[in-house]
Amino acid sequence: MTQSNTVEEIVSQPYKYGFITDIETEKIPKGLNEDVIRLISAKKNEPDFLLKFRLRAYQQWLKMKEPNWSGLTYSKIDYQDLVYYAAPKQDIKKKSLDEVDPKLLETFEKLGIPLSEQKRLSNVAVDAVFDSVSIATTYKEKLAKHGVIFCSISEAISEYPDLIEKYMGTVVPINDNFFAALNSAVFSDGSFVYIPKGVECPMELSSYFRINSGDTGQFERTLIIAEESSSVSYLEGCTAPMFDTNTLHAAVVELVTLDNASIKYSTVQNWYAGNEEGVGGIYNFVTKRGECRGKNSKISWSQVETGSAITWKYPSCVLQGDNSIGEFYSIALTNNCQKADTGTKMIHIGKNTKSKIVSKGISAGHSKNSYRGLVSISPNAEGARNYSQCDSMLIGDKASANTYPYIQSNQPQSNIEHEASTCRISEDQLFYLQSRGIDFEESVSMLVSGFCSDVFNELPMEFASEADKLLALKLEGSVG
Amino acid sequence: MISSTSETILSIEDLHASVEDQEILHGVNLVVKEGEIHAIMGRNGSGKSTLSKVIAGHPSYKVLSGSIQFKGKDILELEPEERARIGIFLGFQYPVEIPGVSNLEFLRVATNSRRKELIKSELDTFEFEDLVKEKLKIVEMDPAFLERSVNEGFSGGEKKRNEILQMALLEPVISILDETDSGLDIDALRIVASGINRLSQPNSATILITHYQRLLNEITPDFVHIMADGKIIKTGNKELAIELEKSGYDFVDKNTKEKEMAK
Amino acid sequence: MKSSTTCQEWLNSLPPTEGYLTNEQSIGREFFLENGMPSKKDEAWRLSNFNKLNSFLSLPTTIDHEEIKSIFPEKDKNRERIIINPNENPILNIDLPNGLEKLSNREIEDNLGKIVQSTNIKNDISVCLNQATSKELLALKVKSNFNQSLEIVIPSIEGKSISTRVFLVIEEGTKLDLLQIFTGNNNSAQNHLIEIKLESKVELTHGLISLGEQQKSSSICTLAVEQSEKSKYSLHSIHHGWDYARFEPRIIQSEGQASTIIKGLQVTKSKEQIATHSLIRFEGPNGKLDQLQKAVASEYSHCIFNGSIEVPQNAQKTEAAQLSRNLLLSKRARIDTKPELEIVADDVSCTHGATVSQLQDEELFYLLSRGIDSKHANSLLLKGYYDEVISHFPKSAQKWNFIEKLIKDIKK
Repeated sequence: MTQSNTVEEIVSQPYKYGFITDIETEKIPKGLNEDVIRLISAKKNEPDFLLKFRLRAYQQWLKMKEPNWSGLTYSKIDYQDLVYYAAPKQDIKKKSLDEVDPKLLETFEKLGIPLSEQKRLSNVAVDAVFDSVSIATTYKEKLAKHGVIFCSISEAISEYPDLIEKYMGTVVPINDNFFAALNSAVFSDGSFVYIPKGVECPMELSSYFRINSGDTGQFERTLIIAEESSSVSYLEGCTAPMFDTNTLHAAVVELVTLDNASIKYSTVQNWYAGNEEGVGGIYNFVTKRGECRGKNSKISWSQVETGSAITWKYPSCVLQGDNSIGEFYSIALTNNCQKADTGTKMIHIGKNTKSKIVSKGISAGHSKNSYRGLVSISPNAEGARNYSQCDSMLIGDKASANTYPYIQSNQPQSNIEHEASTCRISEDQLFYLQSRGIDFEESVSMLVSGFCSDVFNELPMEFASEADKLLALKLEGSVG
Repeated sequence: MISSTSETILSIEDLHASVEDQEILHGVNLVVKEGEIHAIMGRNGSGKSTLSKVIAGHPSYKVLSGSIQFKGKDILELEPEERARIGIFLGFQYPVEIPGVSNLEFLRVATNSRRKELIKSELDTFEFEDLVKEKLKIVEMDPAFLERSVNEGFSGGEKKRNEILQMALLEPVISILDETDSGLDIDALRIVASGINRLSQPNSATILITHYQRLLNEITPDFVHIMADGKIIKTGNKELAIELEKSGYDFVDKNTKEKEMAK
Repeated sequence: MKSSTTCQEWLNSLPPTEGYLTNEQSIGREFFLENGMPSKKDEAWRLSNFNKLNSFLSLPTTIDHEEIKSIFPEKDKNRERIIINPNENPILNIDLPNGLEKLSNREIEDNLGKIVQSTNIKNDISVCLNQATSKELLALKVKSNFNQSLEIVIPSIEGKSISTRVFLVIEEGTKLDLLQIFTGNNNSAQNHLIEIKLESKVELTHGLISLGEQQKSSSICTLAVEQSEKSKYSLHSIHHGWDYARFEPRIIQSEGQASTIIKGLQVTKSKEQIATHSLIRFEGPNGKLDQLQKAVASEYSHCIFNGSIEVPQNAQKTEAAQLSRNLLLSKRARIDTKPELEIVADDVSCTHGATVSQLQDEELFYLLSRGIDSKHANSLLLKGYYDEVISHFPKSAQKWNFIEKLIKDIKK
C-alpha cells in the first residue's frame, strides 16, 4: 500500500497558523455561574433584555444534558474550568485602526487578513474577532452609505437593540440544544449584518475568528438579516494556536431572509486539529441555522471544513416561505485523529420549496468523517423538491467514512432524491496524470480537488483562493 | 529517414515482467532508433499492452529481470512522471475519465512539466491557450473540449483525439500508442493517423500497438513485430502485417509450433 | 429505562422457563426486566408507534390445539412443507425426507444464537422478545442431496401472541429454494426469529411472504443470516396488511467472497406502520451486495426503512449498492428512510440512493390517454412498480395470491 501511504503523507502537512500572539489579555476568572453571566453582560454594557435572555438561557442549560447521540466520544469538558471572557487589553473598541495594538494587526496580517487601510482586501469588508472580542471592522463607512450595517454583535446590541431584540434567538431558540443554550448564556462577540430592503450588498462581508488563549471557550454569535429583495455574501474564517488541551468553540449563527432576499454564507474552518496522536485541538460544536421566512428567498451554505479535533455542525435551512430555496455545499477533510460529523437539515414547510445538498468528505489517517443530514417534507410543502449527493473519499485503510442521510416525507406531491458513493483515489487516474509528467503530489492534489470541484464552484470568487490555500495546507501543491 | 548513424532511443533487453504475481512478459527484446516507426501486433493477451505499461512505469506491473534503456540510460528506477518528462509518451487504449479536473488545466500542468525538462519557459494561462488552440487543429477538436473534465463523457473517438492532442503538446521523443485505432470509425481513424504522421519528427520515434492492418494503411511502419505469449516471435517489414491480415494469427501459431518442434 | 408496569405484568404472566430453551428464555426475560419495552430514546425504535407494540405483551400466549385452523393453498409436488405450531416441536410429527435432518442437541447447543450475537446490536429488543417467549425450535440441517424446495408456513392464531424460532444450517454446496410464509389474523401478534447459516458455496433463494390480512395483526421478525465464503444468498420479501410490522434482516458475510441480493417490498394503507431495519456487514474481502427496498404508503400509513451497511477495514474490494425507492400516495401518509453507511476499507465501491416520489403523472396520463380507466391505470403502474421485487419470487409463491392483495388495497 505504498501509494496510499504517500498520499497520506501529502495530506499531513503541519498546521501553519499555530502561533500564539504574546499580548496582555484581560480574562475573567474560570467558572460559570449567574455572576459570571452578569459580569460578561456588564462588561459589554448590555441592555436589560439581553441580560435576561442570557440568564434564561443559563437556566435552560442547567437543565440540559450534553448530547452523546452521534457516537463521537471526547474527553469530558469541565465547564467550570473554562474562561468565558478573554480580551486583549486595550481600551474599549478603538475608533480608528491606527489605535489598535499593532501586535493584533500583525497577528491578522500573518493569518493573511490585513486590516490596515493600505493592505486590506479591496472588495471584502472584514470583522476581525480575537478571543472574545471584535477588534476591528473595515469598510464600515462605505457600507453605511448603502444602509448596510456590518459591525460586531456587541456594537449592534448597544446601537441597534431593537433589531437584536426582534431577531436574536428566533431562529435558534435558547433551548435548541445544549451548546446553543450555553452560547446564548455566555456569548461574547461575533458579527452582525443587516441589509436593508432592496439593497444588494456592494462587497463581500467577512468575519475572521481567532482563538488565542488556551483555556478560553469561544462563544461567538452571528446574526444576519436580509430584508425584502436584498442580498449579501458573507464569509467566515477561523484559526487557533496549537495547545495540547482542547478548547471549546460553541458558536451560534442565525440567518433570516425575507421575501426575495438571499444570503450566501461561506465558511473556511481551520481551527487547530490537535497533533497526530489526537492531543489537543478545538471542539467545534456549532449551531448554524437559517430561516427563509419570505417567499422566493434563498439561503445557501457553503463550507470547507479542514480543522478542529471534533466538529459537530449542521448548517440548516428552514424553508418557510413559498418557493424558497436552501442549499448546502460542503467539503470536509479529516486527517490523523480528527472527527467530523457534519451535514445539514433541510426543513421544507412552504410550497414549491427546493433544496440541494452536495457533500464531499475526504478521510485520511485514523480520522472519522461522517455526513449526517435530514431532509424533511411537511404535509403542506406541496411541490417540494430535494436533491442530495454525498460522496466520500477514503485515503488509507484506517480512516472511516460514514453516511447517515435521514429522509422524511409527508407530502406526495414532492420529490426527494439522494445519491451517495464512496471511492478512493484511483490508481489508474493517478497513473494517467503521472504518465503526463505531473508529479505524484500534484496529481493527488488535482484528483482531490477534482473530487471537490462541485463545491469549489459554489465558493465566492474572493474566497476561492483562500479556500485553496487552506486545503493546500493539507494538500501540498497547487490546487486547480 | 533512417540512417545508420541514427541514435538509439529505446533499447529493451530480455524483459520479464509480471502483474498480480503472474508473469506476462517472458523476455522481450526491442531496439528503436530515431526516425523509426515500429508496429507491434498480436492477439489479445499476448502482452502488447503490458509492454507499453511497463515502459511507462505503471506501478502495478513489476519488472522481474531484463532492462529498459532510454537514450542509453536505465529508466527502471524512474517514476512514471519522470519518464514522461524525459519524453516517453504512452497513448492509452482506454484513457481514464477524471471528473472535476479541468482538461485545460490538466493539459497546461502536463505541458509545463515537460517544458521545464526541456528548459523552456513555463506558459501562463493565456500563452498556453494560444498554444493549445494551435495544436487542436492537428486533431480537429472543438475548443469546447478544453472546458470539460478530463475525458469525462468523451466518446471513444474524442478520447483518442485528446490523447493525440497531449502527444502534440508534450512533444515526446518516443510515443507508444496502445490500440489508438480501436473503437474509431473511419473518419476518426484518419484524423488520428494524420495527426500521428504530422507529429513524427526525424529525431523521434513511434511504436504503434495494434490489432489490425487498417491503421498501418494510414501510417507506414518501418518494422512490424508480432508478439505472442509475452515475446516478440517474429519481426519483419510492412509486408508481414499484410501477410498477417491475410492468413490471420493461425500462421503465428504454426510458426510457434514449428519453432518448438525444432527445439 | 426501568421496566414499566405493563411489562412487569407481562413477564409475570409468562409460563415459567422450561425446556431446552430455558437458558434463552431467562436471558430474554432478564433483558425486559431491566430495560422494559423500547422507547423514543432507542434510536432504532424512535419512529415506532409504541401503542401498537402493546399487543405483544397483552395478548395471551398459551394456545389450544384446536385454535390452529388456517387453510393453506395446496402445496406443489417436489416441495416439502413444514407447518410450525408454536407449541410443539414441528418435526416430531413428520417424517423428514432425504437430505433434511434434525440438528443434534450438540449442534444446537454449539451454534444457536451465534449468528444473532455476531450482529451485535445494542438493546436488541426484537431478539430478546423472541428469546423471552419462544418455547420450541425448528432446527434443521439441509444437505446437498435434498432435492426439493422447502416451505415453512407459520399459521397465526386469533387473539393470541405467538413466538417461533427457526434455525437452519445449509450444508456446503447446497442449492436451496426456501419459501417462508407468515399470515396474520384478527387481533394477533407474532414474533419470529430465524437464523440461517450458509456454509461455503451454498446458493439460497429465500422468499419471505408476510401477509397481515386481518384487523389488528402485528408482527416482529428478525432474520439473521451468516454467509460463508463463496455463498450466494438472495432474499425476496413482501410485507403487507399488518397493522404493525417490523422486519429486521441482518446478514453477515463472515469470510468475504460472498454475494447477497436483497429485494424487499413493503406496502401500507389505513393506519398501518411497517418498518424494515436491515444490517449487512462484510467481515472479509470481495463481498458483494445488491439491495433494493421499495415501499408504498397510502392513506394514513407509515413506511420506514433503515439500512445499515458496514464495511470494516478487512473488507477490501467490497462492492455494495443499496437503493431505497418509496412511493408516497397520500398527504397523510409518511415515509421515513435512512441509509447508514459505515466504511473503513478504502478500496471499495459503495453506493446508495434513496428517492421519495409519487406515481409519475406522465405515465398515468399516457395510460389514460389510451382509454384505460384510472383505477386500472394505477394498478398497472403499481404492478410495474412491484415487479422488480415480485418477479424474483419462486413461481409457487404465487399461490398465496399476494399480488392481487397488494394492488387491491391501494387506492391512489
